[in-house]
Amino acid sequence: MQEYALFLGCMIPMKLPQIDAAARAAFTGLGVKVEDVEDFSCCLEPWNFKGTDLAAWLKVAGRNLAVAEARGIDILTLCNGCSATLIEAAHLMRDGRAEAEEARKVLSKAGYKDDNKAKASHAVTFLSREVGKEKVEKSCKRRLSGLKVAVHYGCHLLRPSDVMELDDPFQPSFLDELVREAGAEPVECRGTMSCCGSAVLERGVSQAIAEEKLKAVEEAEVHCVVVICLACLGQFDLGQVELGRKAKKEARRKPIPVIHYFQLLVMTQGAEVKKLGFNRYKVKVDDLLKAVVA
Amino acid sequence: MAKVNLDFAKGLPRVEEAETVIACFQCSACVAECPAAAHPPRFNPRDIVLKVLLGLEEELLRKDSVVWDCATCYTCMERCPQGVRPIEVITALKNLLAARGMLPPEAAAAENIRRTDRVIVHSEAVDRHRKELGLPHLSAEGKRIEEVMGCRNTPSSWDA
Ligand code: SF4
Ligand code: SF4
Repeated sequence: MQEYALFLGCMIPMKLPQIDAAARAAFTGLGVKVEDVEDFSCCLEPWNFKGTDLAAWLKVAGRNLAVAEARGIDILTLCNGCSATLIEAAHLMRDGRAEAEEARKVLSKAGYKDDNKAKASHAVTFLSREVGKEKVEKSCKRRLSGLKVAVHYGCHLLRPSDVMELDDPFQPSFLDELVREAGAEPVECRGTMSCCGSAVLERGVSQAIAEEKLKAVEEAEVHCVVVICLACLGQFDLGQVELGRKAKKEARRKPIPVIHYFQLLVMTQGAEVKKLGFNRYKVKVDDLLKAVVA
Repeated sequence: MAKVNLDFAKGLPRVEEAETVIACFQCSACVAECPAAAHPPRFNPRDIVLKVLLGLEEELLRKDSVVWDCATCYTCMERCPQGVRPIEVITALKNLLAARGMLPPEAAAAENIRRTDRVIVHSEAVDRHRKELGLPHLSAEGKRIEEVMGCRNTPSSWDA
């Protein structure tokens, strides 16, 4: 059976191990074999690090790709940021720009071979394109009773669309389909494709962007938000706590749980969620679990 | 009077994308759905492109530069009818700011990686949480990427 390198980056294994645990359990449920590669480093996020040192960003991404290439395996990630960095860097490394030439030279001098052989994909893309609907559905043993979900795609897996080449950059559907396959109901939500705002360094603007999105989610009357990116996750989870603190008492809203797609999937697959650290978020998910798990 | 650098656009590090600014006809399609521009007063991708075209370097390359308000959502480049990539122009400007030691402190967190291979710092709590969930142990040491990453030549603001 083909194996894949599980690329966790640094946020997931260190701050959000519950996503790590859910993804591994879900892969087992699907019969997908993943391998841990100790030699991987952080991806280097594509929002501000690419902006502060493009050459270094390319070198680190190129190194991670070379590490997978040396093992002859492809990479699966659990975050839009890691995916965007690895996919976009692989593209930019080959367009002849000065930073790419510099990165290639340094990598080859250090003994890393990056011939564009190892491909990186977000694990949700892999589910949708490679594993397929039938297998995903079949892995789901438990029935969720009417779980309504606001699907949040985030930006970096879809755009720039000429590099990511995945789905329509503004009207994608693959994650809605995966949510449905995992037994939940994706609910139409104002501004589905809007950005979470996490990369904006000016906190006031960043929060205002998140708040708008959260208002739309509240109006849609969903049980939870499903994300596939850690920046979005933090922005909505911790973000709701921060916004709650700032708001006047009477204006405070009941926070809405925010979970990663693999947590939804593993829940439907029948995993014992108590063992998977679901409650490690700022917004607790107890109510969500009670409401939906029969 | 504002100083004008006529070679400003040409000097942006990501040359091929930065060159796309020439095609901008200031239609504002990039502004309409820009999440950062929706929260005034500062940010506007069309205006950033215009300043690059006019060579108004000093207005963009400054410690409190507006470019850090960009959410990096790539909506602008998808919507531009002229094939301009405002987000890449912004990325180029950020690289110039960093090279000149004008990074804001918030961007400095990412620099952890030069020392530890990760943006997040490893701790005992991390080990404990992973153990509780039955996850494999993470190696604590970094330094694997040091040899490829190198150091920035120009001192940055957070070192000063
Ligand atoms: S959409 Fe393109 S052409 Fe129109 S103002 Fe923005 S950058 Fe210029
Ligand atoms: S990438 Fe930046 S400038 Fe472009 S639309 Fe998004 S926030 Fe606005």
